[in-house]
Amino acid sequence: MALLEIDNLHIGYPVDGGTVELVRGLSFAMEAGDAVGLVGESGSGKSQTALAILRLLRPPVRILKGSIRFDGQDLAQADERTMRSLRGSMISMVFQDALSGLNPAFTIGTQLTDVITAHRRVGRAEARTIAIEALGMVGIREPEQRLRQYPHQFSGGMRQRVLIAMAIACRPRLLIADEPTTALDVTVQAQIVALLKELRDRLGLALLFITHNLDLMSQVCDRAIVLYGGMLMEEAPVTALFGSPRQPYTRALLSCVPRLSDPPGKITSIDGSPPVAGRLGPGCPFVPRCSLRIEQCDMRPPERANAMRRVACWRAET
Amino acid sequence: MTALLELERVSKTYELERRLVPRLLGLRKPLAAVQDVSLRVERGAVLGLVGESGCGKSTLAQIIMRLEPATSGAVRFDGTDITALEGRALQPFRRRLQMVFQDSTASLNPRKTVRRVLGESLDLAGVAAAERAAAIGDLLEQVGLDRSFASRYPHQLSGGQRQRVAIARALAMRPELLVADEPVSSLDVSLQAQILRLLIELRRRLGLTMIFISHDLGLVHHLCSDVAVMQAGQIVEYGVPADVLRNPQHDYTRKLLAAVPRGPEVAA
Amino acid sequence: MKALWRRPEAAIGLVLVLTACLVALLAPWIAPYDPLAVDLGRKLMPPSAQHWMGTDQTGRDIFSRIVWGARPSLTVGILAVTIGALGGIAIGLTAGYVRGLWEQVSMRAMDGLASIPMLIWAIAVVGIVGVGPVKIGPWNLPNETKVILLVGLLYIPPLARVTYGGALSESRADYVSARRMQGAGRLAIMFGDVLPNCLSPVIVQATLLVAVGIVVEASLSFVGLGVEPPNPSWGGMLSDARKYIFSGEWWTYVFPGLAISLSVIGFNLLGDALREILDPRRAAGISVVA
Repeated sequence: MALLEIDNLHIGYPVDGGTVELVRGLSFAMEAGDAVGLVGESGSGKSQTALAILRLLRPPVRILKGSIRFDGQDLAQADERTMRSLRGSMISMVFQDALSGLNPAFTIGTQLTDVITAHRRVGRAEARTIAIEALGMVGIREPEQRLRQYPHQFSGGMRQRVLIAMAIACRPRLLIADEPTTALDVTVQAQIVALLKELRDRLGLALLFITHNLDLMSQVCDRAIVLYGGMLMEEAPVTALFGSPRQPYTRALLSCVPRLSDPPGKITSIDGSPPVAGRLGPGCPFVPRCSLRIEQCDMRPPERANAMRRVACWRAET
Repeated sequence: MTALLELERVSKTYELERRLVPRLLGLRKPLAAVQDVSLRVERGAVLGLVGESGCGKSTLAQIIMRLEPATSGAVRFDGTDITALEGRALQPFRRRLQMVFQDSTASLNPRKTVRRVLGESLDLAGVAAAERAAAIGDLLEQVGLDRSFASRYPHQLSGGQRQRVAIARALAMRPELLVADEPVSSLDVSLQAQILRLLIELRRRLGLTMIFISHDLGLVHHLCSDVAVMQAGQIVEYGVPADVLRNPQHDYTRKLLAAVPRGPEVAA
Repeated sequence: MKALWRRPEAAIGLVLVLTACLVALLAPWIAPYDPLAVDLGRKLMPPSAQHWMGTDQTGRDIFSRIVWGARPSLTVGILAVTIGALGGIAIGLTAGYVRGLWEQVSMRAMDGLASIPMLIWAIAVVGIVGVGPVKIGPWNLPNETKVILLVGLLYIPPLARVTYGGALSESRADYVSARRMQGAGRLAIMFGDVLPNCLSPVIVQATLLVAVGIVVEASLSFVGLGVEPPNPSWGGMLSDARKYIFSGEWWTYVFPGLAISLSVIGFNLLGDALREILDPRRAAGISVVA
């Protein structure tokens, strides 16, 4: 049985005269220990998907349809009590903005031990030991002293490490990282990504890495899912995705990244702009910007799948 | 031929001690944001200024734009020393250097329509009121926006559109030097190149000289004629991208390059 | 405007405020009787068809006095806030934009001024200066003028502080830098760019301060330092009605009390509603990050 199985997920919010859908029929699965990258630009629905797994969607946004099975249990139907027991212990999340993810009024020691005692039956002393161990695992030196410090005394990269420590303290089976490095410098980014990779290897947790940065994702993930306009465009092992992208959007997106390895002066973009939720027709969301579009594309493309990959395009041959 | 912009040993130190009593007693907490920076930017060049947060590149941009005074050193524009100029004396130069900011949401007054923003720019550039409407339309066209956008407010525009308006605002003054501070970092990847291509096209057509501040080495590699790497307020390496990015001499440059994520090894 | 109607509290607040303002404005045409007309033969009569709110201890029609009494209450509230706003915005805006020594000096001065308790200040000054008309040139202004000036002065600090906070953060915005870069003048930037973007909290604060002003005026009139009798004022009417609290002539104090309460509630509700509506996050609409 898969660790996480999402089936036909629809997320959206109501407006006068209908619903605006942010995620439109997304399905994918993860096994224990998988490292999957969820890639997309604004409007792709990637963050909403992550929030939906933990049932942290902000009203009026909610799950409209579909199931999210974790270890067989459908989280879309679970009650708040069940979710509370899962969050932080079985499934954890690391957010983008480390500054607002930590409460500035409390020491990180307090915040760490709070998470630990909420989910494990341990006393404060043992919780403290676990906290120190977690800080050590994320590469924070002199953890005992650091426990007594406040978030503002940490640099951006260190704060992110603290958030990761909080996320793994209870040894979750699935760690969701939503753009964990976007606000950080390049050198720190590389460190955090390496840390995530190491933790995954060491703790055997499954990692769902959400980002818009394809290259960064490829450093830590084995498999990638490309989202656009709330729909899945392509799913493939990372090397296959980069080597032979089959979906027009994936191909276009890859060509947009300015690489040091390419000869200078070549910068590609995709004409048009990213989709706006609520203004999308029934067909493929990439239609307005796709150079390969045909008439059939006004109907939602099927997902053509083989053992290794899935492509949502009328014109793709796997 | 004089360089368009010349920085000579420019330094900027901030005083962190704000309390009255320690200051009176001479106790200071200086922070050197920019230390002893010297640069030459020739006409038509595109200088890339690279560095991580806190390296001083934004402060340097503010000094060049005379939004902040330098603590020491000289800033020369087209041969004239503008370091100490203020008010009226600085006015004729203000027009010739313009900047595009990183966050287009913050760089446009949320309560002003595009028309008003561009109109103010044109007004200060000396364009007569009668010609302003036409000029606004022309500017919008130049940056690839439909003329009807003039009546919109910033929140009615997408990020890319806002950035185009910010560029139009800068162009309204007919500058000779355009400083772009991370102009595309807040945009989607598939859009970044649209704005970059616009900037390059404008540079070609209007003969602009550009300073391009970025943390993205890939962008610098593709767009710039020269590169300066900054760390802790100082320029640690300078040269043409081909040299600097392939054969970095300084440790920090090497570190930056090593941290750039590369795609996976693919058998094409 | 549409947003106001969606929330019942806002609508109620607006209605109350508008009613109070209209009543004050149109007093001469609304009041059925002369508020000063004494008729000892008809004193302390309960509400009836001829006197909707009854009569007071000298036979004056209470309804007419309530209507006319709206004027001092609202004028004090609104004019005092106007003085406070003009002074406060000017000080707060310059302190937040120009900064430096002026910022330190003015904000400390505001802190000092803010520490003076409003009612005690008003009572003390009017008590010392004496109750009576104010002579300015050829004009004889009523006693309330003193109250307006005193309260207005003490309104400057809160409004200055609110403006200062907004000006401080807006001055750092890139759009202000962009204007400086174009060579725009200081005044143009302060009033054209910074001020419009920090007005919202000021408006909210101002509305709430009007409510405070109404209570201050009523309190002063209650102790005899506000509106000079026999001129009608809600506070004064309450003072007159003190003797009758236990003797059953409820109409002498219930109506003035209600007038004060309802107008204060009205301004408070309006202020709260404005705070919600003017919240900048709403201007951007629902921003759903995908």
